[in-house]
Amino acid sequence: MRRVILLLLCCVLILGCTGGGPKAGKEVVKIGVIGPMDTKYGIAMERAAKIAAEEINAQGGINGRQVEVITADTKLNPDTATSEFRRLASQSNVVIGGFSSGVALSMLEVMAETKTLWLGDASSPRLTDKVAQDYEHYKYFFRPLVTNASTFPLDMAEMLDYLNDQGVKIKKVAILRDDALWTDDVMKVLRPLLEKKGYEIVMDKKVQKGTEDFSTLLLEAQDKADVIMPIIAHVKGVALVKQWKDMGIKLPIAGHDLSAIDPDFWNATEGKCIGEIYTADGGGVPTPLNSKMAHFISAYQEKYGKLPEAYSAYGVYDAVYIYKAAVENAAKAGEKNPFDADTLISYLEAFNTQHPFEGVRGKVAFTSNHDLAWGSEFVRNYICQWQDGKQVVLYPADKATGQLITPWAE
Amino acid sequence: MNLVEIVVLGSIIGGIWALVASGFSLVFGVARILNFAHGTYFALGAYFAIVLDRELKYLMPELPSLIFSIIFSILIVGLIGVAIYKTCIKPVRKYEVMVILITLAIALLFEKILLAIFRDTSVSVPFPISGVITVSGIPIPYTRLMALLVAILIIILLERFINATKTGKETIATSQDMEASMLIGIDVEKVYTIVMFLSASLAAVAGILYSQIYAVNPQTALRVLIYAFAIVILGGLGSVRGSIIAAFIIGFMQVTVSIALEARWAEIAAMVAIIAILIVRPRGLMGVE
Repeated sequence: MRRVILLLLCCVLILGCTGGGPKAGKEVVKIGVIGPMDTKYGIAMERAAKIAAEEINAQGGINGRQVEVITADTKLNPDTATSEFRRLASQSNVVIGGFSSGVALSMLEVMAETKTLWLGDASSPRLTDKVAQDYEHYKYFFRPLVTNASTFPLDMAEMLDYLNDQGVKIKKVAILRDDALWTDDVMKVLRPLLEKKGYEIVMDKKVQKGTEDFSTLLLEAQDKADVIMPIIAHVKGVALVKQWKDMGIKLPIAGHDLSAIDPDFWNATEGKCIGEIYTADGGGVPTPLNSKMAHFISAYQEKYGKLPEAYSAYGVYDAVYIYKAAVENAAKAGEKNPFDADTLISYLEAFNTQHPFEGVRGKVAFTSNHDLAWGSEFVRNYICQWQDGKQVVLYPADKATGQLITPWAE
Repeated sequence: MNLVEIVVLGSIIGGIWALVASGFSLVFGVARILNFAHGTYFALGAYFAIVLDRELKYLMPELPSLIFSIIFSILIVGLIGVAIYKTCIKPVRKYEVMVILITLAIALLFEKILLAIFRDTSVSVPFPISGVITVSGIPIPYTRLMALLVAILIIILLERFINATKTGKETIATSQDMEASMLIGIDVEKVYTIVMFLSASLAAVAGILYSQIYAVNPQTALRVLIYAFAIVILGGLGSVRGSIIAAFIIGFMQVTVSIALEARWAEIAAMVAIIAILIVRPRGLMGVE
């Protein structure tokens, strides 16, 4: 018996030494994907990264190396996230993902310590402020997945202007927002901006994650305001929208409701989201606005049988290709080790407003502190609306796929 | 602050809490079991109804599909309540701390299972009729009106069951003195089983009504447990009638706090109420010794 076990052990060892797997004898480039893997945001990240990796592998890999995706779950908990980031840092060439600014800020320190390239998600300005304040330490952080929360107010203000242009009279604004770090950052810019434009914030209420009863908030808003502006990512919009419709609240909902971007939102709300106006984070709406987007959406549907579950899919898919392009540019320029994180910084920075990267969401350009450049010509938050089971882009005009409807007024 | 708003919205949520808390209290009163998994039955009621309705819709028209799903869900959750009692609680029933630990573990286990299957999203049970009636400026959707009526009806039926049926009287007898009840020939184990079934089913009904008005997510179970606790402690542990009165008081308090401060303070207020009542009047309004 002992001999059999010994023999088996030897076989395992020999197999282990020769690699055994499909990438035997070849070097691989490992892409670490980190996110809340229990949520659709994390699932979409992992799936999108795998599609990008398969496509890249079919075309010969990144600079000749096959791509492998490894994943880690933050559990939306800073402690878990930091230890998982450390694990990814030791195993992979680049980390992509994140989600939730509080969690991302904790991972940022591990990134700096381990000098790991991180193409991140999470919108707090504090992340890229650190790049600006201590460049040498934090230069490994880039944020191609979402725009800086300090640009959300620009989107919101444009949204209100757009509604006024369309004849929906809005002056008084009721804000319902996540009880979280990122909305404090949004409010710092949004409040003075709206006031400057002549709007009046008559209500500003924080809502905790898991809140499902919005009755009193909706009634108060109806009393005081012309529009309900949600700024929510952690709080789920399903219950809010359902009660808005059921109670027949005569105000539009127009704001940043992350769950409204999901393709299954219509079914989840039993169609009660009809008329809700929302920004689509980082351009991530499942509406094929260009040929690259159309290709990605159909590849996703083919592999997983459904539209991308969340906005994060588009950004992660872009991020993998941005990494590939940076490595290949570095190799072309004759860099000794084009996979080295320090080497790649300048090649990633080269995707700037003059030479943006063409992704599925449009042009990706980094600012000097590694944020996405904001503007109509770059990746931006579109203003969308739910109409008869479909997500319609209303603004900017050149991307619009339909006209505004006002079911709340009927 | 609008008094009508507090009364209207508070009664609706109070009615739902009354269903949750009466079952919680019944089990404690009769079997001296503090069931931390009670909120889980609430969430499971909603989730089973949603899943069954999704599947049955392919086999029959929407309305019968919804009605069947709701009835099945209530029965299934009732049976799960009994199964959890027989397999997990009964063997350790004599040790109160063990009961608390094991039911808390069950609650956490189900939360993780729901999270793994449904992910961190909110879902709701559909409601077939849409419409609103307005009471002094407060729009009340039919969903809420229906929920309040159903809750009141079930509470009346529960009172009738306890006070006017033979099994109900056996239940009262068991809650008063378990050993004496056994001596006069009451099958105490049968009473426990019935109480477990009722308690879990009541929570399931509450979960279904709640998710028709609002929505549920995997974390709802533990939040509901906080309210159930506040209510039964205010009403007096073990007193079903006390729980029902306390449920409405907590409902009004919840709405008042939401209007006066912010919604997030309502849970904090509930927890402060638990501590305050335990210190000032541990028997609650109508507690049993």
